Amino acid sequence: MEAKSIVVGVEGMTCNSCVQTIEQHVGKMNGIHNIKVSLEDKNAVIIYDSKLQTPATLQEAIYDMGFEATLADANP
Amino acid sequence: MACVDLLKHEFFVDMTCEGCSNAVTRVLHRLGGVQFDIDLPNKKVCIDSEHNVDTLLETLKKTGKNASYLGEKSAQ
Repeated sequence: MEAKSIVVGVEGMTCNSCVQTIEQHVGKMNGIHNIKVSLEDKNAVIIYDSKLQTPATLQEAIYDMGFEATLADANP
Repeated sequence: MACVDLLKHEFFVDMTCEGCSNAVTRVLHRLGGVQFDIDLPNKKVCIDSEHNVDTLLETLKKTGKNASYLGEKSAQ
């Protein structure tokens, strides 16, 4: 198990429904162990399997949903 | 906002707030070649586009929200 955690900055969320949508959508992707999206902090904390996902693919997944996603510091 | 143009595809998208409709706006802009109106209170998106319905529906579903095709809507 190559679990890593990453913080992705997410811009454009305005309510809990946006938060839930991202959590559900990204949570369904392969190799995602856990995702916690914070509306207040405008970010998503994702714990993922580094064999199946990379910071770039996670960023792209959120970007594809119509939000601005930026990579913050990763703490492996 | 109503669908006023000649012939538009009307979609239902489960949007609940500004953030949701902004997300829809962004993904449609990225697709390109689309003109659209978003009716947030009625959860409808009216699209005038060169793309076919399947492409548009796929794009809308990328946002992670429930989306379905309602049909063509012509001007009164």
